[in-house]
Amino acid sequence: MARELKFNIFRYNPQDPESTPHMESFVLEETDAMTLFIVLNRIREEQDPSLQFDFCCRAGICGSCGMVVNGRPSLACHTKTRDLPDEITLLPLPVYQLVGDLSVDTGSWFRELYDTVESWIHTKKAFDPTAPEERMENEVAEAIYELDRCVECGCCVAACGTARLRPDFLGAAGLNRVGRFLIDPRDERTEQDYYQVIGNDMGIFGCMGLLACEDVCPKHMPLQDQLGFLRKKMGITALKTFFKK
Amino acid sequence: MSVPLTANHKSLQCHRWDGVLDWAQMLSGAGLITFMWMHMILVASVVLSPNIMNAIAEFFEATGMAQVGGPLIFLLFLAHFALAARKIPFRLEGQKTIWEHAKLLHHTDTWLWVVQVVSAMIILVMGAIHMWVVLSDLPITALKSAARIQSGAWIYFYLLLLPLVELHVGIGLYRIAVKWGFVQRTGRKGLKRGENLLTLIFISIGVITLIRFWFLKG
Repeated sequence: MARELKFNIFRYNPQDPESTPHMESFVLEETDAMTLFIVLNRIREEQDPSLQFDFCCRAGICGSCGMVVNGRPSLACHTKTRDLPDEITLLPLPVYQLVGDLSVDTGSWFRELYDTVESWIHTKKAFDPTAPEERMENEVAEAIYELDRCVECGCCVAACGTARLRPDFLGAAGLNRVGRFLIDPRDERTEQDYYQVIGNDMGIFGCMGLLACEDVCPKHMPLQDQLGFLRKKMGITALKTFFKK
Repeated sequence: MSVPLTANHKSLQCHRWDGVLDWAQMLSGAGLITFMWMHMILVASVVLSPNIMNAIAEFFEATGMAQVGGPLIFLLFLAHFALAARKIPFRLEGQKTIWEHAKLLHHTDTWLWVVQVVSAMIILVMGAIHMWVVLSDLPITALKSAARIQSGAWIYFYLLLLPLVELHVGIGLYRIAVKWGFVQRTGRKGLKRGENLLTLIFISIGVITLIRFWFLKG
């Protein structure tokens, strides 16, 4: 017999002066291979059309459906109800600006982050659109691709104790982004240039190593290894800079 | 570097000290971990024989290591606190945020950090008391230590300080290893298991040592 699932969902519309933050419960019968994507769409279609949440690809690619599921930031489309208990609490991701109910604005946050870490290839070479693309070793390309798999869902930042304590912290997503350019041979930035971006408590030295980012990342990005690599790299740069004077 | 595009651009500031302070926090922690484990093993020598402990204490005093090293360790202890305190939320608002966060997330390593912070605060006070009591009454002998532990509430004092120190030290070593990338993601589980085991072993050694002191008579 199918389970009856109770969903406690955070409700609040900041645009509506009458609205106050509260939890609202919905009950649904579980179906085969049911995901939270299916759940929320069914609630919106069958019970409350005003429920706000974000979805796009429903396949863990767009990263828009990040939310806190029973305490853990996760992608709703990746989360199967069969892995959850009968009662499920859904909250919007913290850190980001709330749009309404379960919908948050991760886009503006990431836009600002990428401006801060200068998330683009820095090169003095003039771009020639007619020239064949510069070749790089396959291993390097694969390593860059591995770090580029981030879908910017924001779960790592929402799960990060440091990010909760200091709003200017770049978070694992931001630091991983810098790491991606650090290994890219086309980027001409020096270690000193990178040190100026992330060699501080807003960047890698702010990370307290709680590793919730590593544990909640729905794409299983190698965040622990990446943060360790950056700390060592920037730590050595810090010493070089310190003893230079 | 390219020209900054936005007003919130922070990359032009140079933060030389943040990296150096992070090194100092790690190295002072690693130094204290080494000291604590050596300290535990040397004091536990009383279990084998009070004479061995006395001989070790005598060696440290004869070479001046207790008189000079003791206060230096105390300074290192204070420096480590000051360095690590840069990351501790001292305002109620921050404390509430991290507490709520840990409760919501159900994440072991986040809880371990809370344990590390709370134990740090207690160790700061109790460790300072312990160091003052021992260093202001040199020389160290097994009988004097036993007399202290058998008097008043000192046994409870050490029964609380011992697990707190070992937990703090164990979690600290684990944290250094994963934070600085000395242990990769594939080794994290094993590291944690090993760390828990080591912490248990040191707590056990400590408890056995306390029992020995409790029954040691002059």
